[in-house]
Amino acid sequence: METLRRHAMLGPAAAVLGLLFVAPFAFLFVVSFWRVRTFKLSPDFILDNYVDTFDKYGGSLLFTVAVAATIATLTTTLAFGFGYVIRFKAGRSGNALLMVTLITLFGGYLVKIYAWKTILGTEGILNSALLALGLVAEPLTIFIYNPGAVVVTLTHFLLPLAVLPVYASLRGVRDITLEAARDLGARPARVFLDVILPQCLPGVSAAFAFCFLISAGDYVTPRYVGGPYTSMIGDFIEGQFSLKFDWPSGAAMSFTVLAACLLAVLAARALLGLARPR
Amino acid sequence: MQADATRPGGERQPLVRLRGLGKTFGPVVAVAPLDLDIFAGDFYALLGPSGCGKTTLLRMVGGFTPPTAGTVTIDGQDVTRLGPEKRPTNMVFQGYGLFPHMTVRQNIGYGLGLARVADTEREERVRAIMALVRIGELAERKPDALSGGQAQRVALARALVMRPRVLLLDEPLAALDLKLRKQMQEELRRIHQSIGGTFVFVTHDQGEAMGLANRIAVMEAGRCVQEGSPEEIYRRPKTRFVSGFIGEANMLAGARQGGRVRLGAGSAFDDDGADGPVSVVVRPEAVRLGAVDADVRLEGRLEDAVFLGPYTRYRVALATGEEIIAHASDGRIEEGLAVGAPVAVGWSRADQRIVEGT
Repeated sequence: METLRRHAMLGPAAAVLGLLFVAPFAFLFVVSFWRVRTFKLSPDFILDNYVDTFDKYGGSLLFTVAVAATIATLTTTLAFGFGYVIRFKAGRSGNALLMVTLITLFGGYLVKIYAWKTILGTEGILNSALLALGLVAEPLTIFIYNPGAVVVTLTHFLLPLAVLPVYASLRGVRDITLEAARDLGARPARVFLDVILPQCLPGVSAAFAFCFLISAGDYVTPRYVGGPYTSMIGDFIEGQFSLKFDWPSGAAMSFTVLAACLLAVLAARALLGLARPR
Repeated sequence: MQADATRPGGERQPLVRLRGLGKTFGPVVAVAPLDLDIFAGDFYALLGPSGCGKTTLLRMVGGFTPPTAGTVTIDGQDVTRLGPEKRPTNMVFQGYGLFPHMTVRQNIGYGLGLARVADTEREERVRAIMALVRIGELAERKPDALSGGQAQRVALARALVMRPRVLLLDEPLAALDLKLRKQMQEELRRIHQSIGGTFVFVTHDQGEAMGLANRIAVMEAGRCVQEGSPEEIYRRPKTRFVSGFIGEANMLAGARQGGRVRLGAGSAFDDDGADGPVSVVVRPEAVRLGAVDADVRLEGRLEDAVFLGPYTRYRVALATGEEIIAHASDGRIEEGLAVGAPVAVGWSRADQRIVEGT
């Protein structure tokens, strides 16, 4: 009776999760083995969709993983530096810095993309400044419509979101453990590597995974600031579902990206794990 | 405080020599400049109430708090400007400060690894120290799976394995319950005897200081008010504060005039010194009841008598409102004493201390 009641209490949450997450997920997984005949989904069991994904979009997939890894590494590093300053160096102004970080979250995602368009564009703020200073004779086109612009924009957008888990884990590092390490003969660099970093690995790997997954799945940023040659896979997937109405291909591509992301995040975690004590 | 020249080996170089060492935080004086000598083999207590500056003093010796005045010399080397990683000291922190991501064995071996001690020697030293503090079976545990007493032993082992010239302990037993505290106190004494090192510890518990240390520095409000052996401090406290802080003491107000001290409660005796208010300090075990033949004799009324086994504790009220506590283990004097009845108390002048001020 008691267990029955406890299970019943889980009902609503399980229903929400099941209906909104597990069911669509399972459905898409099944669909990824189907085919499309005259704009209608037709049940089947073929692997063509996956083969096609690698054939046609393999390059884009690798490129996407590379860009996402760059963004995640950059963002996590910056977030760690920022969190470190808040935790260890800023003293009382640490809270104010954290507040500022959170406030930047209020500026929406699209607003940030347009802001960077305004800054990096051919007639943007950066070029105007360079022209006014007389450093260049005519506007530079190297700032925007390339992967670099995507990296800059997404890093800016993700930074506050990455600071939170990193800072939370840094806050769990007790000062006394740092003093103990120094007492045992550790110079500041060793204290950092042996005591601070290993203690906040959970936060760092959470931030990395988070940034990586968002970057790998994003298709809006590359479309606005990435230019024609920044072909991230999210853009193609979106096209499969909307323009081409090829759900099986889109689903197969989605699951391939998912698997690739999982691999990349696990690899990053294993790499970070090397920092653990011998 | 000056080094005590009369103690055995007093002419040797002190292992730790503090000269004019002081610390101010802005306008707040945490430690007023003081001199202190700690000799090799000492089990040295810095004793005082919370906020007296004893932990700040210990942290200055360990290199965690830079002093604003004076010098720290350890083993003849001026270490005042050196960080903790470059000092021949190791610290057992009050909150232990164990590394949560390392096992007990890794925690203890960490310092040796930094010192590039060869693997085989490192393993041997870690094993030996774990045996010494009796935590061998905890080697593979993580700190969050340890009890307070176990964590305390690991912290001790982690510092001892480095073979420091001076081991610093910040309130080593404060976080433990009474039974564990007694047990650890014995452990610490045993370890100190077996390795023969120099230990300096901070405590607010006079019983702990008396039970462990062979030298005690009593601190009050950032100053070292008395330094000496436990017996010296107990028998000859220099100030009212020290006499009240170390053990139980009766304190009677009086005044000195023209070389004669007159107690508010009656009785007077000769004592050289400046005119002014004084306090007479006498330990409960030195007070005799119904004393006919005593240097100092006062009349009072017996308020209370409690039999405590080894001795009986008597509380006597004087006419001034002051009270005298007497501990007597002599059963015969109980005869003829009744609660509420008048009684005389007295003591020998050799057993009393006169300190300036009231």
